[in-house]
Amino acid sequence: MIDALSVRLYYLVAFVLIGIGTYMMIDKGNLVKKVIGMNVFQSGIFLFFIVIAYVSGASPPLLTAPGPYVSPLPHVLILTAIVVGVSLTAVALGLIVRIYGEYSTLDTEIIREVSDDE
Amino acid sequence: MSDLPALLVVFPIFASIVVLLAGLARSRTGWPIAALASVVQVGMALVLGSRGFGDEPVRYVVGGFTAPYGIELVVDGLSATMVVLVAVVSLGVLGYARTAGPRSNPFYATYLLLVAGLTGMSVTGDVFNMYVFLEITGLAAYALVASGKGGRSALAALKYLLVGTFGASLFLLGIGYAYVATGTLNMNDLSAQLAAVGYTSPLVRVAFGLLVVGLFVKIAVFPLHTWQPAAYAGAPDTVSGLISALVSTVSAYALIRIVFSVFTVDFLAANPFARNVLMAGAAVSIVVGSLLAVSQSEIKRLLAYSSVSQFGLIIGAVAVANGTALTGAAIHLVGHAIMKGGLFLTAGLVASTTGARTVDEFEGLGEYLPVGAGSFCVLALAMVGVPPTIGFVGKWYIALGAVEAQAWPLAVVILSSTLLTLAYFARLIERMYFREPVATSSSVETAESKVAIDVATDGTGTPPSMGMWATVVAAAVLAVVLGAAAFEYGQLLEPTIEHLLT
Amino acid sequence: MTDVTSLRPIAAVLVSAIAVILILASHRRPNLRESWTILAAVTKLGLVGSMVPGVLAGRVYVTDFGAFVPGVRFALRADALGVLFALLASLLWLVTSFYSIGYMRGLDEHAQTRYFAAFAASLSSTIGIAFASNLIVLYVFYELLTVATYPLVAHDGTDEARAAGRKYLAYTFGGGVAVLAGTVLVFWLTGTTAFTPGGIAALATTDPVFGRAAFALLAAGFGVKAALMPLHSWLPDAMVAPTPVSGLLHAVAVVKSGVFGVARVVLDVYGPGLVGDLGVGLPLAAVAAFTLVAASIIALRQDNLKRRLAFSTVSQLSYIVLGLAVLTPVSLVGGLLHIPAHAFMKLTLFFCAGAIHVETHTDDISNMAGIGRRMPLTMSAFGVASLGMAGIPLVAGFVSKYFLLIGTVSAGHVVFTGALLVSGILNIAYFWPVVYTAFFESPENGDPKPLVENALGGRYAVDAVTDGGHGAENDDHGYAPDHEGQGPQDRHEAQAHIRHEHGPDDSLAWEHRGWGGGESTWFMLGPILFAAAGSVVLGIVPDSAVFLRIVRLIVSSVTGVSV
Repeated sequence: MIDALSVRLYYLVAFVLIGIGTYMMIDKGNLVKKVIGMNVFQSGIFLFFIVIAYVSGASPPLLTAPGPYVSPLPHVLILTAIVVGVSLTAVALGLIVRIYGEYSTLDTEIIREVSDDE
Repeated sequence: MSDLPALLVVFPIFASIVVLLAGLARSRTGWPIAALASVVQVGMALVLGSRGFGDEPVRYVVGGFTAPYGIELVVDGLSATMVVLVAVVSLGVLGYARTAGPRSNPFYATYLLLVAGLTGMSVTGDVFNMYVFLEITGLAAYALVASGKGGRSALAALKYLLVGTFGASLFLLGIGYAYVATGTLNMNDLSAQLAAVGYTSPLVRVAFGLLVVGLFVKIAVFPLHTWQPAAYAGAPDTVSGLISALVSTVSAYALIRIVFSVFTVDFLAANPFARNVLMAGAAVSIVVGSLLAVSQSEIKRLLAYSSVSQFGLIIGAVAVANGTALTGAAIHLVGHAIMKGGLFLTAGLVASTTGARTVDEFEGLGEYLPVGAGSFCVLALAMVGVPPTIGFVGKWYIALGAVEAQAWPLAVVILSSTLLTLAYFARLIERMYFREPVATSSSVETAESKVAIDVATDGTGTPPSMGMWATVVAAAVLAVVLGAAAFEYGQLLEPTIEHLLT
Repeated sequence: MTDVTSLRPIAAVLVSAIAVILILASHRRPNLRESWTILAAVTKLGLVGSMVPGVLAGRVYVTDFGAFVPGVRFALRADALGVLFALLASLLWLVTSFYSIGYMRGLDEHAQTRYFAAFAASLSSTIGIAFASNLIVLYVFYELLTVATYPLVAHDGTDEARAAGRKYLAYTFGGGVAVLAGTVLVFWLTGTTAFTPGGIAALATTDPVFGRAAFALLAAGFGVKAALMPLHSWLPDAMVAPTPVSGLLHAVAVVKSGVFGVARVVLDVYGPGLVGDLGVGLPLAAVAAFTLVAASIIALRQDNLKRRLAFSTVSQLSYIVLGLAVLTPVSLVGGLLHIPAHAFMKLTLFFCAGAIHVETHTDDISNMAGIGRRMPLTMSAFGVASLGMAGIPLVAGFVSKYFLLIGTVSAGHVVFTGALLVSGILNIAYFWPVVYTAFFESPENGDPKPLVENALGGRYAVDAVTDGGHGAENDDHGYAPDHEGQGPQDRHEAQAHIRHEHGPDDSLAWEHRGWGGGESTWFMLGPILFAAAGSVVLGIVPDSAVFLRIVRLIVSSVTGVSV
């Protein structure tokens, strides 16, 4: 059991991060914390991708380094995904600034009461 | 012109940058440039679309990296349909947006970015590329929803962003699993490799589950629909019209692509559980979406829940997985886009003319806004599935497909969805024509609806223009006329569907 | 039979659809607007009439627009059964159009443009139903008819009318779903839905369970509009509509479209032979027999004239369904012939009820004592038509009921014969009091009516008792207090209530009008007399009236037996 876990430690960490992120997005009342949760969630997925690319004993995918290399494709993908994640965070924070300007609070409960929408 | 598939995606992005830069020099130059770009886009989409309906899909390899290593763009009948639909609807909504606003240049830049994202999702033949376009679409959509004034639209946009990102991330995770199983990202290659790995392998199953659930969020299938009513109701009318017509539609297209091009029907056959989950999702979505729609008092929220119910039909068709049902799904995707977009725009038109935003305020509308009420009525009846409109034809194919597959419970739900849809639209139609108008002066209006009106009209409260009328009436006419063209379309689609199902 | 390609079927459908646009466009000029209606009605009748000789000679006029969905062509075929229904609807539409003008103007109704437009649209759909070449096209027009008639039912805009409208939509769309489901099943089983005289051959070789299920769905779906019990309750409620609507649509076009659908299913989808083999004819006949007796009994209890007529319609429609379900050639003739026969008679009755409403604002039978003095021609026509309903010879109802009786006896179903006879007696029981009270009573001197006011009625009545069973918010006729139609009897009762010592008051009696037509406008009297005359002609010389010839042609082409 312990052995099995130690081999898959990174996978474990990735899914713990995904879990923490999901929990934060659902449970936290503060909008900024929700966005942080979203980031943690995404980081978990990014880590997952990096882990699957890893080949035991291989070197980074650089032409100067000796082979065998770890798989370069997931790294490229995650580079793109990180860019997407950053833009998402930027948009989210921009929206939060506007919401704060409108309601003077970031607590979803209070905002719900104020707007009595839904 | 062989670069057309790529050009179709790049051109709107390019136009979007032009709009943004032009905004630095002179404000309010957004609309003319966007309109010009959309016309060009429609032209290109039609040319490409006509090629897509061949026996073999059009394939294009980006940057000279051959598939399966490079990114491939694939245009078959279904993607051609989506490309044309996106181009035409966005042009139509632009006609509406000219006076309805919002009018700033950044708005139109985002608008074109959304077009680019949707087109990209439609033509791509690579799953990771699809994720990127899914996120571009999402980002543009969040920004557009937030382009209304007031806290309500910002809040709706943030909710949309959080839930939407969650869905897209699940999609990404699903891609990860599929990559682990096969080591490829090209759809064509994936379907072969997945078959080699075996459809009952846990990795493949988890990948399927994650990809489908991620797309369910984007399509807004019950119970993952929570972002949708708030987003549609909080957005400016122009944006609700555009998003309701296109974003869920293209996501549903992505679902069809993933299920049939990547996993194929053999996967569904090997995993009856997956098919049952799809069917259950469809049935629940149809029924609960309609029930929620009945209980709404605000028009735009009612229409949003109606979408939840209508996309249940599409999911049902995917679950049935035969040629008839898939043809129906394609027809209903197009039909729903026209009808729902038209309904949202009509609701916006009514709101900007009379201030009516709730079901009760629609009373007596037939008296003082006959054309608006008439269009709404025609579109609503088309949505109910009164023949010979497009709404009926789509439902006929899907229901027939369900019967052919002998999926009786689903067939019953699909057929009775007519009555469920009627339940919420009959309420409106009765109010529009058979009740005296209530006195709605601005003093009676609640603060909320005032805010809503500000959101709607960009605060300017302009009277509706010819463009707005024309768009709304065109949608109503199309909803009826396309019903007659559906058969030819079904014929054209035949090779594509065959390709999907083998 | 030879198929002839012709634009006449589609033209007959479109002529009133075009009229809808013209009517809406000329909403500011009522005279022009009404002339569009009349023009369209004349043209439509001409178009349909021009096809009758050809159809009798064995030709079928076809307009084909190509495929609608795979395996289904969007085509209109004017065959004998279609022409029967189309001819009836278009002839009576012309008559009703004149009547509508008199009625709507006489009452100075609101939203007349919407009314005439919706009426024209309804007729367009009705002709579409008549000429539909397969179940899908039939379904298309069937649903359009529902949509087009909804504004007419909810016309008044009162709570009562809106509730009736909702009920109407719920019932008929529910029926539509059943029809669609049945159609899908038939299509799935056979790959076609086209009407074929004698039935779709492939259907006979399929799994009988699915065959029965599809038949049950189709019969139930069409049964909603045909007001088969227990799916009938929308029809009496829909009587809040203006009387021409009740007359043409809810006695002829809409309800007959349901019956027509049943006829198509029995004759042209399944064929009488297969219906018999599957054993589904008998249950349908049993439902029809139950409906025609039960509705007659309920009709006895109705004091509102239009509601009484509505239940009479429910009962009479089941005569037709019974005739179709018994499946012998003779009963088929009887059932199909009852379509025009009942149409002429019931239209007369409704027109009379409407004329009474316009002229005297009287809706309840208990208020009609002595009304024969005021409206002699109208009430005479009413008398003639009710004799026909009861099946007295020399009026239309006799001929069709004669065939029905012979048909049921020859099929060996004596129970159904008995039901028909009982219902005939009940017909007399609920129509005769109306005629009696109109001519032989006066407001001050009337006997309580059987069942409505007292169990036995007449001189056996001990005391006038309330008719009971209604909530407190309704008046003594079961209607909301603001319901129109309080007549002299109510006024008389009110006066007597206030001043007990007061004797008969002449001002409460009906004024006397002569037989020269002074009772109403000729816009209304003309149609009444035409319809009444039509029912007499059908009764005296059925063979020279074209309907019986068409019916014989239909039956012989389906069963191969000439009757």
